[in-house]
Amino acid sequence: MRAGLMRDLGLGLIGLVLLLALPALFPHPSLRDFLIYVIAYGLLAMSLNLLVGLTGLVSFGHAAYFASGAYVFGLLMQGGAVSIPVAMLAAVGGTALLALVIGAICVRLKEIYFSFITLAFQMFIHSIILTWVDLTGGDQGLRGGIPRPPFLGIDLGDAGTLYAFCAVVFVACLLVMRQVWQSPFGYTLRMIRDNPARANFLGVDVVRMKLGVFVLAGTMASVAGIIMALFVSGAFPEFGFWTTSGEAIFMIMLGGTQVFLGPVIGAFLLQLLNHYVTIWTHHHGLVLGIVILAIVLGLRRGVADYAMAWLADRRAAAAPPATPAKAAAPAETKAAG
Amino acid sequence: MNLDVLAGCVATASCFVTQVSTGLIVGMLLFLVASGLSLIFGVLGVVNFAHGVFYMLGAYFAFAAYEATGSFVLALLAGAAGAGLVGIVFERFFMSRVYGKDLLMQLLVCYAAILICDDLVKIVFGADYKLMGMPEAFATAPVEVLGGFIPGYYIFMVGMALGIGAVLWLGINRTRLGKIIRALAINPQMVGALGINTRLLYAGVFGMGCVLAGTAGALAAPVRTLTPGMGLSVLIESFIVTVIGGMGSIPGALVAAILIGLTRAFGAIGFPLFTDGLMFALMGLVLILRPSGLLGARTA
Amino acid sequence: MSNGANVTGRRVLLGGAAAGAAMLAMPRIAGAQAKVIRVGMPTILSGRVAILGTSSRAAVQYAFGRINEAGGLGGRTLQLVERDSKGRPDEAAKVTRDLINNDGCEIIIDGEASSGGFAVHEVVRDLPVLCIHTNSETSSLTADPKLHVKTAFRCARQGIHDAVAGGVYASGISKQRGLKRWMTCSPDYAYGRDNTAEFLEFAKMYDPAIEVVDQVWPRLFAPDYTENITKALQVKPQAMYSALWGGDLVSFIEQSNLYRLFPNVALFSSSLGDPPVLTAIKQLPAGLHTAYRYNRNYPEKPANTAFADGFTALAKHEPTNWAWQNYVAAQFIAEALKRTNGRTEGAALAAELKGMQISSGLAVEEKLTLRDTDHTLIGYPTAWGRTVPKAPFVEDFAPIPWSQILEMETQWKKQKGYA
Repeated sequence: MRAGLMRDLGLGLIGLVLLLALPALFPHPSLRDFLIYVIAYGLLAMSLNLLVGLTGLVSFGHAAYFASGAYVFGLLMQGGAVSIPVAMLAAVGGTALLALVIGAICVRLKEIYFSFITLAFQMFIHSIILTWVDLTGGDQGLRGGIPRPPFLGIDLGDAGTLYAFCAVVFVACLLVMRQVWQSPFGYTLRMIRDNPARANFLGVDVVRMKLGVFVLAGTMASVAGIIMALFVSGAFPEFGFWTTSGEAIFMIMLGGTQVFLGPVIGAFLLQLLNHYVTIWTHHHGLVLGIVILAIVLGLRRGVADYAMAWLADRRAAAAPPATPAKAAAPAETKAAG
Repeated sequence: MNLDVLAGCVATASCFVTQVSTGLIVGMLLFLVASGLSLIFGVLGVVNFAHGVFYMLGAYFAFAAYEATGSFVLALLAGAAGAGLVGIVFERFFMSRVYGKDLLMQLLVCYAAILICDDLVKIVFGADYKLMGMPEAFATAPVEVLGGFIPGYYIFMVGMALGIGAVLWLGINRTRLGKIIRALAINPQMVGALGINTRLLYAGVFGMGCVLAGTAGALAAPVRTLTPGMGLSVLIESFIVTVIGGMGSIPGALVAAILIGLTRAFGAIGFPLFTDGLMFALMGLVLILRPSGLLGARTA
Repeated sequence: MSNGANVTGRRVLLGGAAAGAAMLAMPRIAGAQAKVIRVGMPTILSGRVAILGTSSRAAVQYAFGRINEAGGLGGRTLQLVERDSKGRPDEAAKVTRDLINNDGCEIIIDGEASSGGFAVHEVVRDLPVLCIHTNSETSSLTADPKLHVKTAFRCARQGIHDAVAGGVYASGISKQRGLKRWMTCSPDYAYGRDNTAEFLEFAKMYDPAIEVVDQVWPRLFAPDYTENITKALQVKPQAMYSALWGGDLVSFIEQSNLYRLFPNVALFSSSLGDPPVLTAIKQLPAGLHTAYRYNRNYPEKPANTAFADGFTALAKHEPTNWAWQNYVAAQFIAEALKRTNGRTEGAALAAELKGMQISSGLAVEEKLTLRDTDHTLIGYPTAWGRTVPKAPFVEDFAPIPWSQILEMETQWKKQKGYA
């Protein structure tokens, strides 16, 4: 375990250095903007994958926590009483509480019913944001920008600093999720995904385990929301609309559910696609729809999952010639569900 | 809350008649869309997230046919048949490839269908507002019943929806084909083993669900604005109806749709704050207390 | 498997990122030397309100096309680069930054609806290019000094102006005909609620006899309004105000027709006077009252008719309210560029635009003004008219004097703490 932790830390550090080096190598503001987008949505997708890929809980309402993080953070900063780190902690803590309350109800339901109730809660929160105009600004969002006063000598008003700050937070969150992914808790969750009855039989408190990962996922989503609010200097009801959840699900599917960093790859690919398709055509729905169909019906899994299976396939074919290569067919990678 | 006014309305024949008819008008179109959703889920076990698309296509096909021929009957047929045909193509070439896969795959195929169809409609018909126009036969003053008023077209619309619902119910419960479809929902392998072409049946049932949505769209075309993306709000409402009524239960969809319609009609009089948020709260409550819905047979 | 996966995943990610970086960082021709001045437009081109974006785009294209055909501005031509935000404010922010940072756009015409407009406003605070908001009617965007951005302007109607005009017009009719019992039916979101409250405030101020007997709030983009219509049948108001707009308004009018609501209730609508709404309604009742949104016959000027014809030839439908606002914004930009001799720095253009007046077919008097104090458009048509079943659909426009609107606006600003 310790060796694994050290390696993860090392890899995380390398990743962070690379993330920080990229804008230095290509000093162009749009690259920075682009990467912040990938970071925010990548984190959202990663957090959702704790539920979908790891535990087999298909949540349709994950954007609720993204929005809650953004709104609590934005409101606290507009209030002007607290510094950025305090507001971030409060937003994360508040969202954890929200996820605990909602999760306590939702995790008792199974399969499609779980999906629907998470959707119902999300739409409920969305309609609260829309109707509580005095607090949230309704459909117009938090107006007037979110102030970014310097703290500890860090000035997030500077675009470069803001990017570096987001990158550090992002890598830190990935490391936390990585530890969960590799921990005994993570393996218990996989067991719940694959065979809940067996887990229950072995004395695992399935509901508590599910609730735990639900709260963790919500918390991580709120960090993504905070990053987005910092970047666009505002919070909008669309953050909590079902389309945002849908996009996160698509990122997971595009990247892959079973490879740890799959969702980030998905977020990256989708943002890249979105970026160029929006530039070259006004029929982006048509193009995006066809790409989705091609991936779902062609690859039948995420890009990273596909690559992993392909690699495993090749290794199996290369190593022992005794066993037929077809045995290690891609079907090995179990789809979530 | 304004319960005095509500009580006053229930006690007055004219108000009561108008509001009950309002509930049915709102509810019955919702029922048509939701029953298609429920039928597909009940038999195929998949959630057709693209169901709103077929409502939209039904409306646009009816609009195009009405513009071309001026015949309302042809417009209705075009809406229903067009949506059904597109539904069968969608099922055969796309949906059927993700049966038995996880929910996410189905969700994504439907998401892609929504994106593609919304854009195609925008390309073909343009982004501006369209309305089919009221057929001559219905351009009459509203009918007076016990002092309340009901427009002629709405009487026709509710009648059509009820008729279709009745035919659907009879078809499933009283015919041989219905028996096979019910068997298909329970044990598709056995049905296949008996020499019945289950693929064809699946496509047929999916197409039937889309016909229901398309008919609702065609019936709505004279009174509701046509825009690309119009299926979305109807999709969300019909989801709520389906979940409350019970996924897979057509009588459940009827009860829930009328319930929502009446709540909205009388809610407008008595408790005007009954908003969307409360609809979702109601859906959540049903899911918590009785995940299988009011009339659903399956338990979660 | 997970360890290997981790490493591979990261490799793929970084490789991709590098490729993306290389693509994004492709050199662009620096704006100053370019022959073409690129103007960026974030707007909504898909979904239910796609017509907002498509008609805004067509109007700017029409304006730029005419300027370029006439030889451009000192040899430089104007080019519109539009992007679809899909109606998402965060996407609007990102697209706007991209247009400025990546596509070499030196000016932004913000064609977003109000929430996206606020997001673009914040981007312009960060990246101070010239920005003209063309579709946001929310008063606070320019009226609230806390939100002020030095290089941002609004070339669109403003809620408070419409509210005063509506109040003056409606109170005139209500006094004349004794319309005392009023009901409202407006969409349930911030714009709908604010707009309705402001209208009622001024209507009641000018005619204290007005009494609001009921208010209903259908949800935005609701397909069906029957329960609201039958509610009106029960309440039996003499007049009704509605801030419904676009496709929602089309549905509402047509569904009300089935109940023969309007011969008995006088409708005052904030948005009925928009040509695409009027043409979509199959049976437009006569005598409904509506605020001016756009009309080829008003203001009665050849320049206005020429715009209507030119736009229609390009877009294949009559101009929308959004269309004239964007057309006028393009005219202001062209004039500002002329005065700076083609310099595109935000501060330089903003200095010219402050208080700028241009002659326009859309001015009620002679000129349209971008007011220097709060960077917003005045002098545009705020008249109200009555519907007739056939084209031009709205007639008898009754102008409301701008002096009266401005006086009330000043009071309103004081009351809000804006001035």
